[in-house]
Parts: sequence; structure tokens; C-alpha cells
Amino acid sequence: MSLIEFKDVTFVHQNGVTALKGVSLSVERDELVGIVGENGAGKTTLVKHINGLLKPTSGSVTVDGKNTRDVSTAALARNVGIAFQNANQQLFSDSVENEITYALKNFGFDPGLIQKRLDWALGFFGLEEYRKSSPLILSGGEKKRLTLASILAWDPDVVVLDEPTVGQDAIQKEKLAEIIKLLHSAGKTIITVSHDVEFLWTLQPRLLVMKQGSVVGDGPCATVMKDRMLLEGARVSQPQLVQLYDALNVRPDQPFRDVSEARAWIERGTS
Amino acid sequence: MIQLTTLLRVENLSFRYIDTEKWAVEKFDLEIEQGTVTVLAGQSGCGKSTLLRCMNGLIPHMYPGEYLGGITMDGLTVDKTKMGELAQKVGLLFQNPENQIFMFSVERDIAFGLENLGLPREEIRRRVDEVLRLLGITHLALRAPHELSDGQKQRVALAGVIAMRPRLIILDEPTSLLDPQTASELVALVHTLNKDLGITFVIVEHRLELLTPIADRIVVMDRGRKVMEGKPADVLTDPQAAVYGIAVPPISKLYTDLTRDGLPLGTVPDTPLELAEEVNGR
Amino acid sequence: MYWLAGGFLFRRVVSPFHKLDPRTKLIIAIEFFALSLAASSIISISAVLLSILGVAVLARSLRRIGRTMAFSLVFAVFIFSINIVFGLGILRAFTYALRFLAIISSTSLFFVTTSPDELEQIMKWLRVPRDVVFAFVTAVRFIPVVMLDTFQIMDAQKSRGLELEKGNLIARVRNMIPILIPLVVNSVIRSGELAEAMESRGYGSTPHPTSLYRMKLNWYDWVVLVASVAVFGVALYIYHFYNFPF
Repeated sequence: MSLIEFKDVTFVHQNGVTALKGVSLSVERDELVGIVGENGAGKTTLVKHINGLLKPTSGSVTVDGKNTRDVSTAALARNVGIAFQNANQQLFSDSVENEITYALKNFGFDPGLIQKRLDWALGFFGLEEYRKSSPLILSGGEKKRLTLASILAWDPDVVVLDEPTVGQDAIQKEKLAEIIKLLHSAGKTIITVSHDVEFLWTLQPRLLVMKQGSVVGDGPCATVMKDRMLLEGARVSQPQLVQLYDALNVRPDQPFRDVSEARAWIERGTS
Repeated sequence: MIQLTTLLRVENLSFRYIDTEKWAVEKFDLEIEQGTVTVLAGQSGCGKSTLLRCMNGLIPHMYPGEYLGGITMDGLTVDKTKMGELAQKVGLLFQNPENQIFMFSVERDIAFGLENLGLPREEIRRRVDEVLRLLGITHLALRAPHELSDGQKQRVALAGVIAMRPRLIILDEPTSLLDPQTASELVALVHTLNKDLGITFVIVEHRLELLTPIADRIVVMDRGRKVMEGKPADVLTDPQAAVYGIAVPPISKLYTDLTRDGLPLGTVPDTPLELAEEVNGR
Repeated sequence: MYWLAGGFLFRRVVSPFHKLDPRTKLIIAIEFFALSLAASSIISISAVLLSILGVAVLARSLRRIGRTMAFSLVFAVFIFSINIVFGLGILRAFTYALRFLAIISSTSLFFVTTSPDELEQIMKWLRVPRDVVFAFVTAVRFIPVVMLDTFQIMDAQKSRGLELEKGNLIARVRNMIPILIPLVVNSVIRSGELAEAMESRGYGSTPHPTSLYRMKLNWYDWVVLVASVAVFGVALYIYHFYNFPF
């Protein structure tokens, strides 16, 4: 049975706008998924169904066998962590350590375990030096890491990242990609909603393309990104390496996954 | 051949905020020529935002601190000129489209700066209509800001700045909260304004690949200092660029690697297609 | 909450009432308000209430005003009961309850039909200091933004296990802290950014800024104004001197 299952999910906002139109998809354990699409295509609406923040108007969403209509958001959140785009909409504690342990206390972890998880999160995300500091004095990048730390602290099976690269510089994005890869190899199911196609390309996830409330593309990153018509229709840009691949006269079966692959191919071809 | 004149000159500028030890900007020299598009790049915390605020006068007027050196803009010394006068020479567009629109309707917000200058009503009306037309948002004139998309909000904010007829417009990470398509549209708009109206632009941006086609020059900052400066092609293919943490587009990196390995390629490509053409030609 | 707010938020509508100069609308609202206080019998107060509803129809805002009245019904009933308890008799109690409804709906009528831009002009006309006017207009402009902010903050905290519906009174109040603190912090950040934008567009560079809009009373306004004052005067006279049966 899939870990996350959407069955013909339609969602209509209070103001009458249909944000999701009959979406059906399943996500297995350990998958790395990327979701792309323009603003308003329904990406955030989709992921808010996974932890029950939104319930479908019709259709059903099942997470780990449980129908989201039958369970509270707090209960679903125990296994599904969502990191939203704006860190300032989440941070409120008087210290970084209290921020990280907030959810752990909500979920009823016992004190010994809370301490262990706190130490781990501070270490893994490089925030040890800020343990007692107020979250408000951290820089933008550090705040982002803190929100991730406070979510990973409770060790959910599924981690959803909503636009994690907004406002981040190149080095911060590299670190973020590393963290995602590490978490994925540690057995987590990760779903990343992002505009940043270059960032997603470095992760090579399964890619879902959304357009006006429907999923119009679903497959391995390399396959989906080759479909220029599909991407243009959904107003999604193509990663530079894929554009290059498309325009070359002589090329391999799959687009280059990174600059060194491209370099190797081109140098081989011109030698 | 158009004779370029220097519009803005930053001379040995150093600034640190009150009660801070670190210099946010240190011994900075820069000349912005009229009619050009300059991109300012660098890691978070390198001082880009501070430098921008020095350029339009927010520093030192709104943010006091230790200010050494100077900036001259079209003959005026920035730290000695009032904001009202500066606002007619230098405009600043901020990152968050939401927090720079104050009024309840679009046209009223565009008029905001003009009202502050005490211009007569007919003049205000004329400029507002002109700028609405220029940016293609006449149909949004009476809308409330919360009814607009982010891309539209950025246009409205830009309209409000342009209405004051500045010669230089500074954009502080204008696309970071926009999706790529909307971002491209904004960049295309900037390009049109630059080419058709001769407005000079300084843009702080992480997403360099969006701007390289329209930028005349890239300036890289690191820890408050200028560390690199030159044509986009030169800066992005310089191996040093990665050291300073700027987002070198994959194509530029590939070009750098290929030429370093001895492959005789032609001019530096701006887009993947250009690189493909060069490779196909071999 | 959303439903209640609707009773006082401006909505852009084309109607013969909306077209009036904001000062005319203000004067009409004040007249209704004053008549509500002057009316001391069921007949007179009902006449006022019906007139308010009549104008609401003219302003194509009957549903909005109706909503406000429906919500204030709770308080009206409360007022009615209190008066009964204090032995003032059914008729009087009823009158006071209706008076309350009339006061609320005349106020609502004004705010629903007057845009923040018009409110701004009225305030300037009343010589309210510029900074105060600006703060007011900006605050109204950001109401939808702050509301959205609140929902997004609630989403983020609910996703960390916050349960807003659970617990006794103390627990519920404590649960609001993770919502309120980010709201306040974001508001502070927002004010800072707004201040920068304001300065950058020359706010405060002259003591007498000009204005894109201007209020002008045309013949339509004058006719309505004179008519309303006349009716008001007559009604006031009648209410004061004539003894209604109830």
C-alpha cells in the first residue's frame, strides 16, 4: 500500500475557486518527489492535504492507511512534517532550543527523548552555538535551518518542503540540497515544492508538474523535463542543462545530470 | 557611439551601523554609467542591501551610523541631500511586493510619491496615467492591492517609483518572491525601460541567469568589499566567482570548464542554445 | 468572524448612494444616528430603521446591512432582556432594542458605502494630522494581508501539533501565543519595510502634500443634502413634540 494516496481529490475554496481538480496520485515510502508549476497551480493546496490542514471537497487522501478526514491534523503531523516558505510565520519561542522542542512537547515525547532529539537537531543543522539565543536574531538562512530543525526533531516519515530556496543564495542552496539528499538516504520520504528547476535538477527526484489544479506530468525528472511542450504549457522553465541537451546535434539517451557529465560528453564528442 | 557619462559615483565608501563593529560596506568604489544595467551579486550578508540603501540615501538619513567617503548622484552629494530631492533622482524597488504599496487603490499608490512632492493635481494625474500605460496596467488602476498577483504588485510598485521620474532605479532582489515566468516578465520590462527610456538600473539579484542577457556589468561583493567587476561573460567564467558564493549558471560553469580543458570555443554563451550551437559547430 | 467583518468593510459598488460625496454620506449617517437617539416610541424608531433599510436598498447593500443587523440581534435581545428585568416594560424595552439595531446599521451603512480613499479625504477635511490619516489608511489597506498572515501562521503551527480547539480557557489562551508572536513580529518587520518605502518616495518632504483626489459637491449632492436635512429637521420636530401612542 502506498504511503500517501490521493483518490480523485477535488478541492474548492470558500470563495468558489476550484484549486484541485480530480487529482489522483500515490507516493511510496522513501520516494523523493519534486512538484513544479506556476503560482496558483495548486501545489501548496495539494501538500496541505497531506497533513490534513485541508480536507478534500470530494475524493479522499490516505496517509499511512488513515483517511485524513478521520484523523486530526495534529495526529497526522506526527508523521508528516511541512516546512512552509516563510520562517517568520513560525518562529515564536524565546530560545532556539525551545523552538526546536515545541513540537516534541506537543506530541508528548518524554523528556529524555526530547533532550536527545534536541541535541541531534542542533548538531545536524549546525545551530549548536545558538542554543540559547532568540530565534529572532538569526539571519534569513539560519532561520530557515531552524524551521527545518524544529520539524526534523520529531522525526516524521514524510517531510514536505514548500519553496525552500526562496531568497537563498547559492551556498545556502547547496547546503539545502545536501541536507535533502542525506535525509532521503536515511529513509525519509521527501516532497519538495519549488520553482527553482535548477535546484530540483540537482536532486533528480520524481517530478510532478501541476497546471491549474491538475497533475499534467508525472515521472522521472529526466523524462519530464525533456517535454518542452508540457513545461511551456504549465509555465515551468527547463533547466539549462536540459535546454543544452535538447539543442545538441549529437547527444546521449538522457539529459546531463550535472556539469561534469555534460563536459565529459562534449569533450568525448569533439576529440 | 554614445558618450557615456557617470551618473552615480561611489567614492571610497565605508559604512557601519550604530553600535556595530563590523563594517557593512568597506572602501567601496563604483561608477555607474548612464543608461547601463549593473548587477550587484554576492552571498547573503555581503553588504549588497546596505550598499543599495547608501545609494538612495536611506543611509544615512534613516539609518544612522559611521559614514566615510561619499556618493555623488547627478551632481548631488547623497548624504547631504534631503530624501525628497533624492527620490527624484534615485528610486528603490524593494524585495517584497506587498510592503511597498500603502494605499487602497493602485492609482492612488502610484500618486503617493508625487503627492509627497507637492505637485499640482493635474500633473499628478498626467504622470499616473502615463505610467499606468507605460507598464501596461491601466486596467488595474482602481483595483485594491490585495486583489493583485505578486507580479502585478511588483509592477504597481515599479510604477510608483517611475512616476517620480528618477534617472536611476535600484532593484533589491525584485524577483526572489516571484515564480520564474513572472520573474522573466519583470526582467523583460526592465530591459524595455532601459532601452526605450534610457533609465539606468542597478539590480541586486541571486538568479543571475535571468539577468545576464540584459546586464552590461556584474559587480561582486564579499564582506562589504568589491571583489570582482566586469562584463557578465568575464565574471561568470572566472573561477573566482564560485569562491565568492555567487550562483554561477550551469552553462557558464560548463563553458569555463570546457575552455580550461582546452576546447576552442567562441564567445561566452548567454544561453544554453548559444553554447549548443558552438559545440555543434565542432 | 469573516462574516461579521463583512458588515463594515467597503465593497466597490455602483449605486446612486455610493456616488454621493463622502461628506453627504457622513451627514446622512449622522442624521440617522441622531434620529435613532431622538426616537422614543416604537413607531418612530421603526420608521428610522425602515428608512435605513430603504437607503441600503438604494445603495444595493441590503444584504450587507442585513448581515450586520442579524449579528447585532444577539445584543439587541440582550438589551431587551435587561430592560425587562429592570422593569421598564415591554414597549420601552423593544424600543431600546430597535434603537440599538438602528445605531449599528446606520454606522454600518456609512462604512460599507465609503471607500478608504473617501474616508481619508474626510479625515483630511476634518484637519486630522497627516501622519494619523496615513497610519489609518495603511492599516485598513493591510487588513486582508494580516488576515492571510494569521491563517498561514495557524497552518504552520497546526503542522507542529498545535491544537487550537482543545483545552480549557487557560490552555486556549496559551495556545494563542504561537499565533500572536509571529503576527506581531511580522507586523514590526512590515512597518520597517513600509518606512523604508515611504522614505524612498519622499514622504514628509513638504508640509503640505497635494492630492490626486478631491471632494466636490455637485448639484446631485446639494439636492440630496438639502432634502435629507429637511426630512431630518421635520422628523426631529415630530419626534420631539408629538406624543406617539406607544
